[in-house]
Amino acid sequence: MLVALAGNPNTGKSTIFNALTGMKQHVGNWPGVTVEKKEGETEIEGTRVKVVDLPGTYSLTAYTMEEIITRNFIIEEKPDVIVDIIDASNLERNLYLLTELLELHSKIVVVLNMFDEAQKKYSIDVEKMSRILGLPVITAVGIRGKGIDKLKDKIIHGKFNPKKVEYPEDVERRIEEIVELIKPLNIEPARWYAIKILENDAEVHKKVAELGGKDILHRAEHLRHEIEDIYGDDIESLMTSFRYSFAHGLFHEVAEPINVGGVTITDMIDHVVTHKIFGLPIFLAIMYLAFQFVFLVAAPFQDAIDLIFNGKSTATGHIPGLVDLSYNWMLQFMPAWLSSFINHGMLRGLGAVLTFTPVIMLLFLILSFLEDSGYLARVAFLMDSIMKKMGLEGRGIIPLMLGFGCNVPAVMATRTLKDEKERRLSIALNPLIPCGARIQVFAFISSIFFPSNPALVLWSLLILSMVVVFVLGYIYSKTIFRSKSEPFVLELPPYRMPTLKGISIHMWEKSEGFLRKAGTIIVGAAAIIWIFAALPWGVGYGSPDSYIGMFARWIAPIGTAFGLTPEAIISLIFGFFAKEVVIDVLYVLYGSKEAIYYAMSPIQAYSFMLFMLFYTPCVATLATIYNETKSKKFTFFVILEGFALAALFSFAFYTLTSILGVSV
Amino acid sequence: MLLSELKPGEYGIVKKIKGTGALHRRLLSMGLLPGAIVRVVRISPLGDPVEYEIRGFFISLRKQEASFVEVDKVTPLSFIPRNSDVRVVFIDGGVGFVQNMGAMGIAVGKRLKIIAPCCPMQVKTEKGVFTLGRGMAYRVFVR
Repeated sequence: MLVALAGNPNTGKSTIFNALTGMKQHVGNWPGVTVEKKEGETEIEGTRVKVVDLPGTYSLTAYTMEEIITRNFIIEEKPDVIVDIIDASNLERNLYLLTELLELHSKIVVVLNMFDEAQKKYSIDVEKMSRILGLPVITAVGIRGKGIDKLKDKIIHGKFNPKKVEYPEDVERRIEEIVELIKPLNIEPARWYAIKILENDAEVHKKVAELGGKDILHRAEHLRHEIEDIYGDDIESLMTSFRYSFAHGLFHEVAEPINVGGVTITDMIDHVVTHKIFGLPIFLAIMYLAFQFVFLVAAPFQDAIDLIFNGKSTATGHIPGLVDLSYNWMLQFMPAWLSSFINHGMLRGLGAVLTFTPVIMLLFLILSFLEDSGYLARVAFLMDSIMKKMGLEGRGIIPLMLGFGCNVPAVMATRTLKDEKERRLSIALNPLIPCGARIQVFAFISSIFFPSNPALVLWSLLILSMVVVFVLGYIYSKTIFRSKSEPFVLELPPYRMPTLKGISIHMWEKSEGFLRKAGTIIVGAAAIIWIFAALPWGVGYGSPDSYIGMFARWIAPIGTAFGLTPEAIISLIFGFFAKEVVIDVLYVLYGSKEAIYYAMSPIQAYSFMLFMLFYTPCVATLATIYNETKSKKFTFFVILEGFALAALFSFAFYTLTSILGVSV
Repeated sequence: MLLSELKPGEYGIVKKIKGTGALHRRLLSMGLLPGAIVRVVRISPLGDPVEYEIRGFFISLRKQEASFVEVDKVTPLSFIPRNSDVRVVFIDGGVGFVQNMGAMGIAVGKRLKIIAPCCPMQVKTEKGVFTLGRGMAYRVFVR
């Protein structure tokens, strides 16, 4: 049995989906597009039921990918039952989608989700609604798992005798004429096709033309003009109005508003967080606290994982970690170079991936919280006029903010931008945002060289990156990534307390994706870098005599222009594979914090950080960029852009301070 | 006038959605249709976009997009001061509510005089003087 979940965005669709399928679910993409597809399985009274979560949509026009996916799925896959998840607290608009679904399918179970919230707004006569619609209507509170059993029952035993959405007589007559005309084409559901032909729906128009229905389209055009003349408006407005009046009428039949005009909690929160003066500072403060939380909580876990893998050097000697122990153990039955490759190369790489995990998971935890609570939509509202200048819609801020955590999920998150040009623009800017790994390195270096105020130094780098992203975005959007701005019709949903379960699932889905994709690449890259760092055989790992060391010495004269020491260059090369490694490499090459302090001046250290802020994204980010754009040219462009900016800022800073004789 | 010209706190009744294509259709499917009531909630701190309430939910539109929506400015009856003469332009409710209002002489096109604005609200219609609850007065739009 095949069941499809449909509904508006922000209706708790995924909560119901999770409650139905538990952890038996698979997240992928709809064929050929970047829209997420979720499938799961459940068993109801011995029947195996496949559940597909359709993308959240407001209607079923042919204007967005999500809408086309949804309707094509219903037409082509013919699910046995559609479950329309309705936000009961926003009944009227949610019923509009139901009017469109009713034209496509006859077996629809209506779920009035968030029913507890709705009861504060109006009293709803569920019985009456079910009677009018001729469909099973159930109430649910998805986040508390309420109503799921009823839903399962209705999926199997529901009685369906749906009411037709009726248009005015002079429209109905014309719909029927088209139904007759398309009979030879044999397309189902005929009434839906007829309505869409009348509405001049682009996709249906194409399909009918392909099937040789040119004459039908001509006739339909004539009928359309007639209707437009009768009612004095365009067909889209008219047909939407007719359906809306059905939704409107139904809404008023079954719901009696209570507490009209009262002040809601959402309104009170919005009054503060989108306040004219305090809105933006609050946004910055929330982001600051969020990242503080991520790093503070992640740090002990990261240290623990690091300790397990790499051991610890103390005054009295080295406490061996997993890597050392395993290396020694393998020496018993394999040559030293192989054991070193396996352990110092790959196992250490795995350690690096795992150390990164707590940050990624916490980051997604926070972001899921912000998203599920409704605040992210306010961010889009607050930031839109800034983002617009960069050629992005308000939501474009989200991948950029995510970039502060990790550019890999951030690049993945650009999928929320529909316009391809906007998406590329957003991807091109993203690596310029310092990720958590780079911020860690900056924090470490700042604490060595600027012990009196490391936070200020770190802050200066963050601000610089934001200014660069902004200016570059502005330039790009006017030149190479020029596009029409997307219509920015954004819903501001009421604030809701996210549930732990919802957030955990969200967090797991995204972290798992990262671990699998980026993890593999990082381990692979660690193996490759081992080859360059440990060979020729016999040299110290990553030492100036290794291939990497030789390369660093060869390039050192250029590095001096930026104040970079050969060791710093080596660390940057390693950083290409994973930015956080830069600290370790500096540590290994110099031996101690003190040695690092004496090897560079604070000016050099700052110049080094400037270089590191922008130079090429790490392997994992590049792999993701390529994966998302499938363009080598574009991926290469991103690398080039990074080096150009790194060289520009580092050189300008180092030269200027030298000329001016500034010292710290 | 255009939706983008309304100020926070003001209400409009939609007359027409101009334009074609994705934006046009998107506005329609959000319920911005002729006859719908829109309230301007607040303006983003940076001046754009603007938050609107429509049919009980909230959306954000850029000013440029809101300028595709033609509206007539209206006011809920509950905001009308004492002794004003107004004309009803829209009643937001189902058949039952519209009938109940009609029985009191409150119907689209009819004139009303506010005897007492609050609380409770008293209005004089062609059928006499009636008392209205706050919730009711919120759903009657006048000009």
